Amino acid sequence: MRTRLQIGGIWHVVLILFLVLMLYPLIYALGNSFKSLSESYGTTLNVLPKLFTLENYQAFFNSLPVIRITLNTFFLGAVTTIVKLVTSFLAAYAFVYFRVKYKPALYFLLISTIFVPFTVTMIPNYLFISRLGLIDSVWGAILPQLADAIGIFLITQSMRGIPYSLIEVARLDRLPHRRIMLDIVLPLVRPAVTSTGIWFFITTWNEYVWPVLILKSTEQYTLPLALQMYISAEGGTNFTVAMAVSVVTMAIPLALYIMFQRYIIGTFASSGIK
Amino acid sequence: MNRETIKFYLLLLPSLAIFLLFVFWPFAYSVYLSFFDWNMISPEKKFVGLQNYIDIIKDPISYKVLVNTFIYIGVLLLMNCIIPYIFAFVIDVVLKRFKNFYKTALFLPAVISLVVGSILFTWLLNPVSGPVAIILGWFDVTMPMWTKTDGWVIVILCLITSWKVFGYNFIVLYAAVNGVDRELIEAARLDRVPARKIFMKIVLPLSSATGIYVLIITVVQGLQYMFTPIKIITQGGPNYASSNAIYHAFHEAFVLYRTGHSAALSILTMLIFFILLLLEFKFVEKGVYYEN
Amino acid sequence: MAEIKFEHVSKSYGETHVVKDLQLHIRSGERLVLLGPSGCGKSTTLRMIAGLEEITAGKLFLGNCEMTKVPSGERDVAMVFQNYALYPHMTVAKNITYGLSVQKVPKLEIKKRLELALEMLQLNGLENRLPKDLSGGQRQRVALARAVVKRSKFFLLDEPLSNLDAKLRVTARKELVNIHERFGQTFVYVTHDQIEAMTVGQRIAIMNEGRLQMIDTPENVYHKPANIFTAQFIGSPPTNIIPVKWEGRVLWIGSQQFNMNEAWEEQIVQAGCTEVVLGIRPEHLQLTKDPVPDALQCTVINVENQGRSYGVYLQLNETEIIALSDNGAWIPGETVYVQAALERMHLFDKATTETIGYPEGVHADDHLHQHECVH
Repeated sequence: MRTRLQIGGIWHVVLILFLVLMLYPLIYALGNSFKSLSESYGTTLNVLPKLFTLENYQAFFNSLPVIRITLNTFFLGAVTTIVKLVTSFLAAYAFVYFRVKYKPALYFLLISTIFVPFTVTMIPNYLFISRLGLIDSVWGAILPQLADAIGIFLITQSMRGIPYSLIEVARLDRLPHRRIMLDIVLPLVRPAVTSTGIWFFITTWNEYVWPVLILKSTEQYTLPLALQMYISAEGGTNFTVAMAVSVVTMAIPLALYIMFQRYIIGTFASSGIK
Repeated sequence: MNRETIKFYLLLLPSLAIFLLFVFWPFAYSVYLSFFDWNMISPEKKFVGLQNYIDIIKDPISYKVLVNTFIYIGVLLLMNCIIPYIFAFVIDVVLKRFKNFYKTALFLPAVISLVVGSILFTWLLNPVSGPVAIILGWFDVTMPMWTKTDGWVIVILCLITSWKVFGYNFIVLYAAVNGVDRELIEAARLDRVPARKIFMKIVLPLSSATGIYVLIITVVQGLQYMFTPIKIITQGGPNYASSNAIYHAFHEAFVLYRTGHSAALSILTMLIFFILLLLEFKFVEKGVYYEN
Repeated sequence: MAEIKFEHVSKSYGETHVVKDLQLHIRSGERLVLLGPSGCGKSTTLRMIAGLEEITAGKLFLGNCEMTKVPSGERDVAMVFQNYALYPHMTVAKNITYGLSVQKVPKLEIKKRLELALEMLQLNGLENRLPKDLSGGQRQRVALARAVVKRSKFFLLDEPLSNLDAKLRVTARKELVNIHERFGQTFVYVTHDQIEAMTVGQRIAIMNEGRLQMIDTPENVYHKPANIFTAQFIGSPPTNIIPVKWEGRVLWIGSQQFNMNEAWEEQIVQAGCTEVVLGIRPEHLQLTKDPVPDALQCTVINVENQGRSYGVYLQLNETEIIALSDNGAWIPGETVYVQAALERMHLFDKATTETIGYPEGVHADDHLHQHECVH
């Protein structure tokens, strides 16, 4: 029978290999984004450019209003995140600290929103946004997303971790809910709210499905939409520029991840345990 | 007590209002639309009863789409349920070191847009000039033109989506595996039970609630995530070979302008998801909402 | 003024009845201890006073007003929780004064009360610390301080000392009594620790399985238990409960005879009992090696060194009893003789398990000299 050491060793090799395969595309993108197009033809396998150049990034900035697009993406992310956090926090508080007859039914209703595929809602929402005149506006992209059942769920989990006796003490002091919510509960769930917020931001930043339906003109695009313009199924031109655009699109999410990875992983690590 | 009830609903109102406006009402409206023939522009809608549903069931294209959907589900589950489960077990139970490193590294692609993923993999897996093609060329293996090949196209598109989804599922499953009582595992080790059995007989059953959750979520969200690479790379082709129920509903609505068909198809998909929702509640939610 | 009255109060969760038909009257300004084993309903009773548990049936009066359905915030109650429930993100000073500041108590008044509380509970210097930087004893005092500054009419404590180590408990008990004497509130204190109950309470209410067993002073609870449960619950080692057959002036324990006097016989007749059970505390049994008139013959089973004295386990016919002895020179298997004084025994009605009472002069001059009394 093989020793533990050998089994462990084999798995480490497997995992490292797997990781290399998973993360190689990112390094590939980074390296190639700094190569000139001509260089990239011969050397697709080489990650590092022989001649470091910014021409791809320049091409990107020249062909599209990149600053504007980045701001759009940022705006979409920030507004959606903040509003979602507020609606989720309030709903979570309601679920945790109130005893109401129809709570189980409402809870079921809430969870069900996760199970509704976007194809069911896309036509009516599109028509509605259109009627509001918000097609091709970032607000049209923001509006349908202002509540999130997963956010409610994550914050609820965190609230349940607060010892109920703290709330009882507050009740004995005749504290109104507003105070309990803001002075006691919120500070104690701040880590969960923060990580949920970061996750919301990253997800919204990366969004494609809804923005592609709503945003039409390049000034209103978000980065993923701009990126999609550089795709061509056959390969061909603009390969290195596509890499540059990819790098720009993933820069912020990656940065946030590197800064907050413990937070982000932590939220999901505890949510899975049932 | 009634004042409390009012406060409860007030707090819930923002989320509820959004959901009502943008989820529940649209759902009802889609059901309504599924009984009509309409092109999204003309002021008149023609009532056709169940014809849209019949069309879908009879249509050979939708049959192909349906089969594809099941293939997608199978591949997605393999890549995003089975493999992460095994990895979670290996990293948590079998291995001793570098656990956090693996966790952090495996989760990384989850924060990257699927659009980025699509682009990266399209170039990487370019059958002519991509790095993978070149390496395979050393072994005299030619890569199939996967964007034009039935079967392969589904696998590769799943790969792209899985690249992103894997990390999230892995973390959730890891937490569940981690939650299994260490003493049970130690006891099994003392009895010289092989790792494979520890996984199948101890870890798997005890983390099964989360396992089922991940399985259901993978199907529900995975099929929807697939939309992005499909739309960007193949647009459902070649000849609907890479389309699934989700993409096809989009195709019907915004390319073919047959809203009735689209709505009917999405309602059918919704029914399947709803069954999954009921399963999730039955197996997973067991009394999560306890009274304080 | 600040009395608490439970009138036929019951509390149940669905099918489970936690408190059954409670009739309890707590006097204004007294220190009452709710004592009982786990699950007896004492915490629930306390929480019903606070309004943290809904009353299923019956009425609760706080200071002559019916408060059965009044929300907790409006009952003028301060409570100290078992786990202290300090706000982890607030400093000691903020924890203590937060409730007052929300109630819009004037800042000067808050400052005054805070300083007094810090002084009384020796928390000076700790104002700016967070709970996680405090020891268990310090946290407990902060919880007390927070309750004290409220100056409420009712002061409730739910096992406040159970998380402290033994030495701290003694000082903490004294602090609690000090607070009571200083502010004169009605104190209701829940514990499962008998010694705490006996030393802190002016009266003790004993509960078991949701029912009130007895409510009386510590002396009476110890020396004149109202029923078998109380007799066995209070005191360690527990009271010996011996099944007997009553015949006139004799109690038959198997074939052995235990002779009572006229007073006791009268007592049984007056109580209208047909069958009784005998109770006697281990410390009230005299143990001798030689036969003595009116003694009962037993066999030694085991001897335990309990520190202050030796616990001698004896077989009295079919019952196992315990006696306390100053020396440990008893050999398992040997035959010994126990004497029980008539002034020290207890009799209970076999059917109802209640005491049949005590004739004049019995347990009259008993005092609790074994326990430290803080009154």
